[in-house]
Amino acid sequence: MNDLFLTVLAGLQIGAIYAMLALGLTLIFGTLGVVNFAHGALYVIAIYAAVQVAINVDFTVALIVVPLFLFVVGVVFERGVIRFFYDRPHTDQILVTFGLAIVVEEVAKWLFGANNIPFPRPDWGDGVIIFYGPGAVIPPVPVFQEAPQLWLPFIDGFVTFDYWRIILIGVTIVAVSVLFYLLQFTRFGLIVRAGMRDSDMVQFLGINIARRFAMVVGLGAAIAGVAGLFGGPILGVTPDQGMKLLVPSFLVVVIGGMGSLAGAVLAAVIIGLSLAFTADNPDIQAVIIYLIAVVVLLFRPRGLLGRKGVFE
Amino acid sequence: MSTTSDDRSAGGIAAPAGDRGGILEVFKREPVALAAFTIVIFSMPLWIPVLGGYEGLATLIVIWGIFVLGFDILLGFTGYLSFGHAAFFGGAAYVTGFMYRDVSDNVIVAFVASQVGTLILAVVIGLLAMRRTGIYFSILTLAFAEMLFAAALSIFAPLTGGYDGMTRLQEPNLFGVKMDGLTIFYIAAAMLAIGYAMALRLRNSPFGVMLRAIKENPMRLEYTGINVWRYKMAAFIISAHYAGVAGFLMVTYEPYVATKFLHWSTSGEVVIMSVIGGVGTLVGPIIGAGFVLYFQNVVQAVIGEQWRLILGLVFVFVVAFLPGGFVDLARMVWKATGNRLRARRHNVPDMELTETKYGTEERLR
Repeated sequence: MNDLFLTVLAGLQIGAIYAMLALGLTLIFGTLGVVNFAHGALYVIAIYAAVQVAINVDFTVALIVVPLFLFVVGVVFERGVIRFFYDRPHTDQILVTFGLAIVVEEVAKWLFGANNIPFPRPDWGDGVIIFYGPGAVIPPVPVFQEAPQLWLPFIDGFVTFDYWRIILIGVTIVAVSVLFYLLQFTRFGLIVRAGMRDSDMVQFLGINIARRFAMVVGLGAAIAGVAGLFGGPILGVTPDQGMKLLVPSFLVVVIGGMGSLAGAVLAAVIIGLSLAFTADNPDIQAVIIYLIAVVVLLFRPRGLLGRKGVFE
Repeated sequence: MSTTSDDRSAGGIAAPAGDRGGILEVFKREPVALAAFTIVIFSMPLWIPVLGGYEGLATLIVIWGIFVLGFDILLGFTGYLSFGHAAFFGGAAYVTGFMYRDVSDNVIVAFVASQVGTLILAVVIGLLAMRRTGIYFSILTLAFAEMLFAAALSIFAPLTGGYDGMTRLQEPNLFGVKMDGLTIFYIAAAMLAIGYAMALRLRNSPFGVMLRAIKENPMRLEYTGINVWRYKMAAFIISAHYAGVAGFLMVTYEPYVATKFLHWSTSGEVVIMSVIGGVGTLVGPIIGAGFVLYFQNVVQAVIGEQWRLILGLVFVFVVAFLPGGFVDLARMVWKATGNRLRARRHNVPDMELTETKYGTEERLR
């Protein structure tokens, strides 16, 4: 039971970063119809911005500054680049975002070097969290006594888990919830969802859909910013992180169904769990996500929750 | 296109041979282009050092030239952007490496084995990825290639040498003739010339017209009763074989298999080369390959570590402002200096987007 619990936690943590990146990807794809190969580059910008602010100023400041900064980057990216590619073929959109991804990676390498920059965790996120069950005795060691503790009825004795990873899971849940709220229950979300169906019609109704779409890209980038902020300390800060994460994130989007937000979250959880449960066998772990993608696409070509007729 | 050629090509995916001179046809149709191409390629060891390059660079350009040529058949003719062509390049390279290490040092044995391997890979990946079009296809090919990369480093690590790549291969030879220096260059150059001739022939055949029709409007083609799937698959497999030949030559040239051959960056490089040179022009991607490799090997020595950054900027610039690549640039310059362009063969009139006061419209050029 304890092992199962820890594996599930590990799986959720892996899925959390994929979920945040995949949400941004699928959001941009669903609204603008653009496959953003530069989404990994947004993540790279986020981790470097986060680590610089965290080292030179404070992590708490980075917490506010980085998502806002990424939002601005996203809006500029849409207004400055993507905008000119709406009328061009899909392949051109892929190519230009791919090119930008290379440029960002190389600029990061040029400015900060190819080596990992250590990303210190803030004090409040360091150490472990203790999950303990009925009748557990936590050893009287300061490390354990001062750590956050949580009582769970099904735990036998007690187990520890990296606290930062729990925070990451929590942050992801919050970010996803906020995004869902924004899209489902606000006027902004209503307009964006209408724009996803038929942007011309929304425009005829006198709504400046272009501005909303720029904000959508900004939102996607901001979530990538949150992912970088909390993923950076775990995955490391190197220029090639973006491309490393991009391929699994694409698979998450494809498995979940292009343009489907719920699908992206579901697929991210599935991918994360399958990676965690195959951790004992690295050979299988290396290919498991691709196998899942193949199986899903063979039986459900549109992905798990993909709808008919979305950019086909 | 006439009904007779429709009937002919509907009967089989191979270009109809015999009635119009078969493969030799191209020598009659495009003699100047082919002769010039062959001369330029074969004389490369002579003029590349003048530009600051070296003999090995010529070999590399020729090998990658074959790779991008095949890529252009898929992207330029058929309109499918594969982000996983490294699978075929690297796959063939690994099979070749395996042959040299464990089976035979004969290049012919390795060549046949690598092509069989490429065919199997192309059929499997094609069956899965060709189910979708456009962006889905790009992502799927990327995913399958990455899967192969991951598998080579984990499940097949005892066979492939894992992260170290495949080392200690026997020296490849053709019945005693060593494959070094100019020998491998001329073999590769001959293969490129043959590949170029085949691609030209392909472009002008009914099969090539079918591929361009798929690019224009696959649904309309399907409605006329043509099995689009078969043509797409054939284009995919042909394209994969070009990549496979390039992979085989790469390992024969330098008896070492790097894991990078399977990595997505290899696929990305092919995309960059094709786009910079000019997609769909056959010559363009080869020029693009030359440009990128020249940048990588010669210009790098001058401008240092930032060469990739500059290359990336050039790429973005070309995608944004020069969708036809260098070839289009040459055309523009040619036109601007007062020359007339030869009409391009097309099955549909050239349309271009024109700004009118009512918005953009498709107009006859």
